[in-house]
Amino acid sequence: MTTAANLLAFLGLTATLLLVWRQSWPARLHLFAVQSALLAVLAGAVGIFAGKWALLGVGAVVLVVKAWMIPRLLWRIGAGVPVRPVAPGRSSGIPLLVAGVLVVAAYVIMLPVNAATELPTEGGIPLAFAMALIGLYLCVTGHDAFGHTLGFLVFENGIFALAILATYGLPSIVEAGVFLDVLVVVLIMEGVVAQVRREHASTEEERLRELRG
Amino acid sequence: MAAAGPLVALAIGLVAFVLGLGGVAGNTWTVAVPWLVPLGGLELTLDPLAGLFLALVGGVALPASVFALGSTGRAGRGALAYPVFVASMCVVPLAANTMTFVMAWELMSLASYFLVLHEREERASVRAAWVYAVMTHAGLACLLAGMLLMGAWTGSPRFADWRVAAPALGAAARSVAFVLLAAGFAGKAGVIPLHVWLPLAHPAAPSHVSALMSGVMIKLGVYGLLRAGLDWLGVGPAWWGVAVLLAGTVSSVIGVLYALVDHDLKRLLAFSSIENVGIILIGAGAGMLYHGAGLEGLALLALAAALYHTINHAAFKTLLFLGAGAVVHATGTRNMEGMGGLIKRMPWTAACFLVGSAAIAALPPLNGFVSEWLTFVALLQNTRIAQPILNLTFTLGIAGLALTSGLAMACFVKAFGITFLALPRSDAAARAHEAPPVMRTAMVALAVACVALGLGATLVVPALVSVAGALTGNRTPVAVGDWLTLGVSGGFGTLSTLAIAAALGAALALPLIALRLAGAARGRRPYETWGCGRMLQTSRMEYTATAFADPFRRVFDFFYRPEKRLDIEFHPGARYFVQRIEYANPTRSIFDDWLYRPAIDALRVVARRARAIQSGSANVYLAYILAALILLLVLA
Repeated sequence: MTTAANLLAFLGLTATLLLVWRQSWPARLHLFAVQSALLAVLAGAVGIFAGKWALLGVGAVVLVVKAWMIPRLLWRIGAGVPVRPVAPGRSSGIPLLVAGVLVVAAYVIMLPVNAATELPTEGGIPLAFAMALIGLYLCVTGHDAFGHTLGFLVFENGIFALAILATYGLPSIVEAGVFLDVLVVVLIMEGVVAQVRREHASTEEERLRELRG
Repeated sequence: MAAAGPLVALAIGLVAFVLGLGGVAGNTWTVAVPWLVPLGGLELTLDPLAGLFLALVGGVALPASVFALGSTGRAGRGALAYPVFVASMCVVPLAANTMTFVMAWELMSLASYFLVLHEREERASVRAAWVYAVMTHAGLACLLAGMLLMGAWTGSPRFADWRVAAPALGAAARSVAFVLLAAGFAGKAGVIPLHVWLPLAHPAAPSHVSALMSGVMIKLGVYGLLRAGLDWLGVGPAWWGVAVLLAGTVSSVIGVLYALVDHDLKRLLAFSSIENVGIILIGAGAGMLYHGAGLEGLALLALAAALYHTINHAAFKTLLFLGAGAVVHATGTRNMEGMGGLIKRMPWTAACFLVGSAAIAALPPLNGFVSEWLTFVALLQNTRIAQPILNLTFTLGIAGLALTSGLAMACFVKAFGITFLALPRSDAAARAHEAPPVMRTAMVALAVACVALGLGATLVVPALVSVAGALTGNRTPVAVGDWLTLGVSGGFGTLSTLAIAAALGAALALPLIALRLAGAARGRRPYETWGCGRMLQTSRMEYTATAFADPFRRVFDFFYRPEKRLDIEFHPGARYFVQRIEYANPTRSIFDDWLYRPAIDALRVVARRARAIQSGSANVYLAYILAALILLLVLA
């Protein structure tokens, strides 16, 4: 179980780092779907090893909602946008470096937690936390509504992985609520993006600076 | 439908009045509903002090609601806020733990905020409500800080547990809690310099609401001060009492000085409320000092005086606000320079207003006189404390109270004289009409209460002494005279309002009887009023409110710092002919100029600096979240 959990958490983090590296949005979307699928497998694996059969159901829901439904919705948001950013001069070097720093920070922050727990899955906890931090970082550096939404979803995936690894899943009512929230966020963002695009013909953040109080 | 709000408030007031009187009589109970609200649950306790203030809320809500039934303003506005306001004021004195208290307190503030915002089309009302909201929430912040600190130090949100645990706390801790609680309560009570909301909010609200705000809501600040200084925090160091006494002195003198030069009838009454809260606090501070010095008999006397003045002020200020409401209703203006001659058009209102004015000016045998007399008697015995610095404080209190009494007299001579006497100064005043019977009923009831509270002093004072005794934990009976005469402190002072009333009545009646017996000519001789030799008397030749206040303005020039604005327009042809002269002589508020304006300016500067972090970029805002999260995790 330790090996499986560590491997899956590692693969999830790798997917996250690739997400930071890639620039074209269809590729990032695919990576997000892959990451979500990995999490579904992680939930299933932990469920089987720990004997928590409800986690199997959770994994199935993750597969449906995050690996299939949300990517489809995001695809609709992105439709019509150039595949790569038009503006030149953006490299992936610095974001990757920051992501690396965040991984180290996650290890440092989780040191006391790891010292306190005796779970077989504890090796994956810092990785999952790093995933969450990098997701938040993606959210911060996103250049348009698509980037922010994707960053938020990765952040949420990280939290989910953390919950699975640290406590073997949350009560099912909480899980259900979280899934619904995420779905609603994406739906709202779809509406907002449509509205912003109608007003400004772009979802670039630069345009929103005029909204100062 | 518009009557539903006042009717509900009327019912609440009736229940509160009866329950409160029961509490004063010693009928105490506790109701606890732990599951209803978090952090301690809902808990209500009725003890004698809570009962007194509950009865006060009910006793003022009754006439105010009756008056509201007769007023035809913007029907419907405030129909919900008004009963909520009354109900929340009933809960405040009953609250027995932090959560209950804060919820009732905030509900009271919010409901009154909406009532102040009654005329929301007027800029002045909106500004008044804004200032009120800011001041009341600043006060709430202080209260919350104090209560949460006490909760943390004693380990319980219940006031009963504070009472037990407070003596074990350090002196510094208790003083910190007292300063925070006192600041919060003093803001609500309108103690100077935290009074700025009061002269704005009271005139903006409908008159029955002004009456409730002035009659009861600010008294709940006094209630809190009494609780904090004598009950929750135990016996404090002497400086608590000194602070309360001096704050009371300053508030009473400055309040009446402002009232004296104001020409807005309702604002004048609002400033006068600041003055009266000051008088109450002089008594309360003296009570705290005596209690701290172990002179329990004097402590009871001073506290009873403060409580008596609390009740009296509720009675006559409610009456005066309702009277002012009837006048504003009839003339459509609050400016006294546009009134005059109303005694002929509104005899009932004038008579009631006169009773209220005489009571607030502390004329015997009315109620204001009794409580001020008691306060004086309590203050004058300060020589029993052998500490020169405290004696000096008491002396300042006595001097302040004496000055206040005199100025209040002048102030209400002006309020009644300019409003009701002489010739009408405007068409609206000349066409004024008497208030409808429902409104008159409310005013007459209050006028009767003022007289009864004065004549029945020998019944009221023992009850108040027992309430004060329950507050300070002194249950030994104190003799306060017999049914005819109040005799306090073993004969230090005696007063019989009944005897004074009888003497005054006799002084009026005896000459009439004597004339009759002497066979003086009966019947009337109609004749012209003596017009000082003038052929024609118009309202423009009359004494104005400005003229009446002018001597005071000159004497207290250093305080009012009046500006003189003289604007003369000459004839374009020759400078010897004047077309128009405009003279204005407004006073300036030293609190606005020296305290609030610098504070607001400093706040603006800080806010402008802080705007640097508002870049307009969503990325930066999200980065703040990330940075805060990582910082918290690393520090944790």
